[in-house]
Amino acid sequence: MKKLILVWFMVGILLASGAFTALSAEVQADPVTINWWHIQTETEHRNLWQNLADQYMAENPNVKIEITVLENENFKAKLTTVMQSGEVPDLFQSWGGGTMNDQAEAGLLKDITAYLDKDGWRETFSEGALGVYAYDGKNYGVPRDMGMVGFWYNKELFAQVGIDNPPATWTELLDDIEKLKAAGITPIALGEGDKWPGAFYWEYLAVRIGGEDAFVKAASREGSFTNPAFVEAGEKLLELVAADPFQLGFLGATWADEATLMGNGEAAMDLMGQWAPGSFRENSIDSQGLGDKTGWFKFPMVEGGAGHPNDALGGGNGFVVGKNAPEETVDFLKFISSVESQIAQAEVGLSVPVIKGAEAGLTDPTLILVQQGAADAGYFQLYYDQYLPPATGSVVNDAVQGLFAGTMTPEEAAQMVEDSAAREIK
Amino acid sequence: MSVNDSKRRKRFKKNSPLILKYIILIVAAIFILFPIVMIIFGALKTRGEFMTIPYIPPIPPRWGNIKTVLSMPIFWYMLRNSVLVMIATTAGVVITASLSAFVFSRIKFRGQNLLFNFFTLGLMFPITVAILPIYLVIRQLGLTNNLIGVILVQIAFQLSISIVILRNFFMAVPFELQDAASIDGCSTLGFFWCILLPLARPSLAAVAALTVVTSWNDLLVPLVLIDKEKLWTLPLGTMQFQGQYGMDLSLVAAFLLLSAIPALIFYLLAERQLVSGLTAGALKG
Amino acid sequence: MSKKTSDKVVRILPQTNNSTWQLQENMTIMLFLLPAFIFLSIFLVYPIFRSAYFSLFNWKGLGPAVDYIGLENFRRLIADQIFLKAVRNGILIVVFSLLIQLPLAMGLALIVGRNIPGRAFFRAIFFMPYVLSEVITAVMWLILYNPNPSRGFLNAIINIIPFLEPQAWLADTSLVLPAIFVVLTWKYIGFHMLLYITGLQNIPREIEEAALIDGVNSHQMVTHITIPLLAGTIKTSVYLSIIGSLQVYALVWIMTRGGPVNASEVMSTYLYRYSFVRFELGYGSAVAIVMLLISLTFSIIYLRLTRKAEYLA
Repeated sequence: MKKLILVWFMVGILLASGAFTALSAEVQADPVTINWWHIQTETEHRNLWQNLADQYMAENPNVKIEITVLENENFKAKLTTVMQSGEVPDLFQSWGGGTMNDQAEAGLLKDITAYLDKDGWRETFSEGALGVYAYDGKNYGVPRDMGMVGFWYNKELFAQVGIDNPPATWTELLDDIEKLKAAGITPIALGEGDKWPGAFYWEYLAVRIGGEDAFVKAASREGSFTNPAFVEAGEKLLELVAADPFQLGFLGATWADEATLMGNGEAAMDLMGQWAPGSFRENSIDSQGLGDKTGWFKFPMVEGGAGHPNDALGGGNGFVVGKNAPEETVDFLKFISSVESQIAQAEVGLSVPVIKGAEAGLTDPTLILVQQGAADAGYFQLYYDQYLPPATGSVVNDAVQGLFAGTMTPEEAAQMVEDSAAREIK
Repeated sequence: MSVNDSKRRKRFKKNSPLILKYIILIVAAIFILFPIVMIIFGALKTRGEFMTIPYIPPIPPRWGNIKTVLSMPIFWYMLRNSVLVMIATTAGVVITASLSAFVFSRIKFRGQNLLFNFFTLGLMFPITVAILPIYLVIRQLGLTNNLIGVILVQIAFQLSISIVILRNFFMAVPFELQDAASIDGCSTLGFFWCILLPLARPSLAAVAALTVVTSWNDLLVPLVLIDKEKLWTLPLGTMQFQGQYGMDLSLVAAFLLLSAIPALIFYLLAERQLVSGLTAGALKG
Repeated sequence: MSKKTSDKVVRILPQTNNSTWQLQENMTIMLFLLPAFIFLSIFLVYPIFRSAYFSLFNWKGLGPAVDYIGLENFRRLIADQIFLKAVRNGILIVVFSLLIQLPLAMGLALIVGRNIPGRAFFRAIFFMPYVLSEVITAVMWLILYNPNPSRGFLNAIINIIPFLEPQAWLADTSLVLPAIFVVLTWKYIGFHMLLYITGLQNIPREIEEAALIDGVNSHQMVTHITIPLLAGTIKTSVYLSIIGSLQVYALVWIMTRGGPVNASEVMSTYLYRYSFVRFELGYGSAVAIVMLLISLTFSIIYLRLTRKAEYLA
């Protein structure tokens, strides 16, 4: 009797789900399919891409665009697996830099230089941003967003403890942290479980202390990551950790946790890139985020550092084209890189525009600050874990997490990065 | 090891009155049920309520999150995929394992022990070890992003334990029966199909139950072999869902609840088979 | 105990002493074994050899493997502090399981196994976590362990208790492994309890009654009669617990990814990270081979030891 119920139960589930999927199935058998992988899991952003895809499909009935949306970390993982087989997606998220270079070297990307040269498509992009998606003289993708990392802060909380101006120096930052702590407010939100959010701190400190020179030399192997600048960056980081400014459990928290804290006004500051406001909104209970309480200031200057206060750490987002992608992919890429598309992206805080003429779409005052900051930077450094070969970038993130956890000294951290660089960068 | 065991056991097994036993059982039951109950509570609250008053029963229960999950087509795709894989894997395992177990349990031949060790290799072998080259093999066969690839791998890794379980059960079928059958002119296949299998039905059910649970809960194989969202199985989808909506804890709880329900219903219906399969395989293995 | 294979040799066809009969019998045997053999060869054995092959290369996974480096991967592996920590954590989990999980399971079995009213109910409850997937379990406990008292149940309750502080369960390097161990216990204690219950049920009543007549008290009963008779079950339970502990993956990966700072790293998360996150497939293959060797070695030694013990008993 029980067995009979069991059998009918399983048949029932099968039928029900089969029926449901049949009802929501899409039209099959179109001649050209474009596989598009992006990482915009936030509803607003996800819908924007879907709408664009729908629009394009409506105008081009022979094209079918299949979108796979993956969360950041899952995306990186999935991409690796798929890369091995050579079955690269046709169009996918990329941050450029060393990872993309590796992919290009392995012949997994489509060379779209010729497409860019046609009809002046190349000129629509901001040169610096486009360059991130080029390797060895060839272009493999286009940017949609370029910004920089800075401190996002809650103006209301700052005002509450009497901080009138955001800190401009490292000492001021530590002071402000004390004030916030005294008032029982979590000074900084950090999702160090994901490792890359914390890496920003170390990288910026290195940028401020060592300037362009230290990193460029180390990365090109003329110098070394054991340069005192990198060690001092670690020491300054330890100063920060000693001030205990992060939320309980930060070492295991994710970027989403970080965004939730900020979005709900439970933390005062967050060192993050240009996508932050959108994430704050997405992760807040009322879906409003910080609204006009949002403030932004550049990473403070470290007294006596060789860098310049305008130096920026940052990066952008873009899409690269897979080697087996059908022709229509590039056409679609052009479509989503249009000025209208960029304006729409800017309006929902998805992208800081890189296409000339789309700046008008950027209405959010803080994002304008970000864009300005990026434009002002004399030295613009791509995040280490994208600039350097993936293995070394990974080591940087691990080493910094060790600093945060107190399991590594600044010297050890720097040495670890140096060892990896020596092994990976030939 | 047994000394340590007995020391601990002393605590439980003194001339304990019944009430003490019940207290222990209830405490243990609370420990087990607590997380599940909390998830049920969480699923039935709104996101805001979850954040402010998480540990109170939801009154009134909010069905919003559950409705949201049920209205996502991807949830139904995942359900369908899990069911398909599970059914195919179970059928494959039962058939293949019973064929092999039959031979090992009733026929003596040269090299038998060596071959049997080969067949039970899978018991000593975590699948994590093999997953990378398995992916490459599947790719070679052109079966990535294809549920068949998942099915084949799952069958392979479930075979060893199934063969062990079935072999034990099969050995219990009297040999006189087989002699009688061959005297009557029944072929091997006939004996296998008409006599042995029906007699061994409980063991087949046990193996099937075990395979159902293992296949349904498998994360690693679909994770590595499948990319397309539409082909995700339930565990894979749960992990992705958590990664994506992780901050909306009540929504995640709703998803968890819904994806756990099939497993729990199956458990209630097939508990006996599961238990017999596990204990048989474990005790003789 | 009984011997492994039956004494009685069964011929599947009427016995005649000619070679065609022998051939037919062999053919039948082969056909029956073929499907399983194919599956196991392709998906179990062949991958091992592939892994062994790739472990000798420095391979990024993009394109073919060409950078032969011999045993360099293995040398690096043995010297890697993090791998050693992974092994150490694995051993810790094994030891804790043996010292805590199994005795608790045994205790529960002893209580529930007897004719106590409601035992079917309790049995069903304790076994439930086993059928839930590791994914569901991990996500469930992630929510419970959330450090924010307004979100994580555990800390919310602790917050109420006056002299306990909310902890960062999964983010504190010294708390994370115990925290994961609690989850493992939650999931598997019912399974082991079940094993012991079944074992207990196989103890003939007569022996216990005879012992009672001889005047043993319940403590002596347990130590001198029940446990020795449960030896077979205990042996299996220990074996499964150790193998299971050595290969735990999904639970750890989803809850902590092996973090923070590798505090909860185990061999399978280490393997996964190097294979699927860091792109170092040659090295990952080497890790796989080492994991395999550890598992196999343990299995072989354990089976030898217990067989000997049985023989001597």
